[in-house]
Formats: sequence, C-alpha cells, structure tokens
Amino acid sequence: MVTKTEETQLNRLESQVDNGGGGAWEYLCLVRKLKVRRSDKVLKHGLSILNDSKKRSSLGPEEWTLYEQVAIAAMDCHSLDVAKDCVNVLQKKFPESKRVGRLEAMLLEAKGSWGQAEKAYSSLLEDNPFDQVVHKRRVALAKAQGNLSGAIEWLNKYLETFMADHDAWRELAEIYVSLQMYKQAAFCYEELILSQPTVPLYHLSYADVLYTLGGLENLMTAKKYYSSTIELTGGKNTRALFGICLCTSAIAQLSKGRNKEDKDSPDLQSLATAALEKEYKQRASGKLSVLTSAFKSLKVSS
Amino acid sequence: MGFSLGVVIGAVGVLILSHAAYATSQYRGLLKITEDDFSGPPFNVVVELIVGLVLCMWAALAVPGDFLSIHPHSDENRIVSLPDNLDFMIFNHRGKVFVPEINMRLKR
Repeated sequence: MVTKTEETQLNRLESQVDNGGGGAWEYLCLVRKLKVRRSDKVLKHGLSILNDSKKRSSLGPEEWTLYEQVAIAAMDCHSLDVAKDCVNVLQKKFPESKRVGRLEAMLLEAKGSWGQAEKAYSSLLEDNPFDQVVHKRRVALAKAQGNLSGAIEWLNKYLETFMADHDAWRELAEIYVSLQMYKQAAFCYEELILSQPTVPLYHLSYADVLYTLGGLENLMTAKKYYSSTIELTGGKNTRALFGICLCTSAIAQLSKGRNKEDKDSPDLQSLATAALEKEYKQRASGKLSVLTSAFKSLKVSS
Repeated sequence: MGFSLGVVIGAVGVLILSHAAYATSQYRGLLKITEDDFSGPPFNVVVELIVGLVLCMWAALAVPGDFLSIHPHSDENRIVSLPDNLDFMIFNHRGKVFVPEINMRLKR
C-alpha cells in the first residue's frame, strides 16, 4: 500500500536521482519496500552502483539483494544479458540456493523458453511444496503464455492453501474481469474487502464490477460501495462520485414502472454532482460545460 | 537522552519501590520471630508503595516523549495506490521493442 507521503517521497527521490544528485541507494531501497514497478530506473541506477566497485563494496551484504533487484529489473526491461550476468554472480556466491534457482527459472521465462521454465518451477516445488513465490511464478508463467484458464486453475489451487494472500486474490479478480466472469470477480473482491476493509480501492473495484453486472439489487449495492469509497477517501475519488451519479440514474431508470422508493437518493445525487462540479472547476475548468451537459442528459433519462 | 528530570524521578521511584520490598521482607522476618500472622505490610510501607507507584507512573509518561495525535482522516495517510503485483509480473510485454540504453552492461 503506497500512502501519499510515501508517494511524494518516492517522486522526490526519483527526480533527485535522475538529475544527478546522490541517493540512488535510498531510492532503490524505497522501491523495494513499496514494491512498485520502476524497472527502467532501477536498472539504470542499480547498474551505476554495481559497476562502481567502491560503491559496491560500501554496501556490504546488501550487495546481493541489489544484484537480485537489478536482475529482475533487467528481465523486465528485456536486457537479458545483464540479467544473466547478475544471476551468474549470485550463483557463484550462493551455489545451492533456492532463491537463485528461482531467479534462473525467471530468466528462462523472460527468454521465452516456457517448457524449460515450467520444468524448473516444478522441480523447485518438488523440493519445497510450500514455496509461495514459486507457485505464483507458475501462475504468471501460464498467464504469460496466454493460458488464462490454466492460470485460474493454478491460482485457485494456490488460494486453497494460502487463503490470506491478498495479492493473489486481487490477481484472480483481475483475471476474471479480463475474461468477463464478473460474478467470480465479485466474489474475489468480497474476500479482499473482508480481510482489508479500510482500503478504498477494493470497494471501488467491487462497485465497478457490480455496476457492470447490472440488475437492480447489484446497482443498489454498487451505490453503497461507491459511497463507502467516498467516505474512506474523504471525498477525493472522482470515479466514485461519477459512480454514484450513474448508479442513481440507472436505478431510477430500472424502477420507473415500480413504486418509487425515495430514500435519500435525490440528496445523494445532487451532492455528488455538486462535488464533481466543484472539482472540475478547480482542476479542469475547460471541461465543465461537457460535464454539465452530461449531467443534464443523465437527469433527462432518469 | 541525557539525565532529564523524568529519568531521575523514574530512578527515585524504582528505588522507593525496592526499599519498600526490602522493608516488607524484613517485617516478615520480624513476624517470624514473634510468630504472628502476616496480614499485610505495615502502614508506612503502604505509603511508600503508593508514592513509588505515582513517581514511576509519572516517569513512564514523561520519559518516552510527547504523544503524537492520530489523524485517521489526514491526507498523508490515505492509500494512493496498491502495490503492483510483482509476484505475478510477466515479462513478455510490449517493452521488448524499446531500444535499451547504451552502456547497460554489468562490468565484471
């Protein structure tokens, strides 16, 4: 989870390092801690540290973690020879290590030799059947080959054992959404909200999936989750505000024939539209006219 | 931290408590000689215990520093983005076509 302070700190360090100031090692540590994917910058600055033998020796035992980080970043940037060199260095230092074996299998995956990578992962799993990262890499391998149903199967098996892994639930939800299996995706998001109820982004994604599914009940639940997103983010989430407006108009359209249950929906919609107009006036005043005409068309149809 | 007032008071409180413990054990020894029951520590030991308690509590609150207030709704603590799922990262994306920068080699 990246909070706002951490994000500003990361951006500041990034601009500092990019413009030639020092602090490359702190930047790399922060990237590793926050688990963001900045492979090109990691590769550039990591190599600058590793190629300078003085800086490298000043790192001490952290040097090997840096080799691993740079190896993965190199694979992501498709600089496979850099990755191979890093993995070789690590292999010389730690000859019988599972972690290095995993890196080698990732290198095979990056090269595109799917069969060999699959064999490498299976053999790693035989030695240690409870290695979470290797399970997840196997899922990623299936995903990379385009075999999404295979990836779903592996991921479900993984989640039967390791039910508390939020990243895996999120990945499963995203795969389901990409395959348009929205009911299953909704289930995954429900699991996520149960385990981490204060993260607004899960509420938002869940509400999006429910809105896509459609139907009166789903729309009402989606409106509730958009509202909880707004509450958790202090009213700053534009997407949730739009979600409320759209949900209200869709609900009104669906329940036109039936008896109108006028709870507090007119208040909520007018509040949401007012908040959106204020935000647009502040940030993109040129688009304000487009916004007001969109709202008019929503109200007309509802 | 230096020898601030809180640390001194804490040390005094601990000394008072340990003195009270010593006095109680001596009192019990005295009772064993006179073969009376040990109903409770004598009155001055009780006073000493209360004083020691107050001093230690004061020191425990004063020494570690000021309390910071919790801002649950402040902007700095809001989650901006979820971590990119690096465990499920795949490598055959469109980034392959970008020309890598020159000098991207590991010198060995």
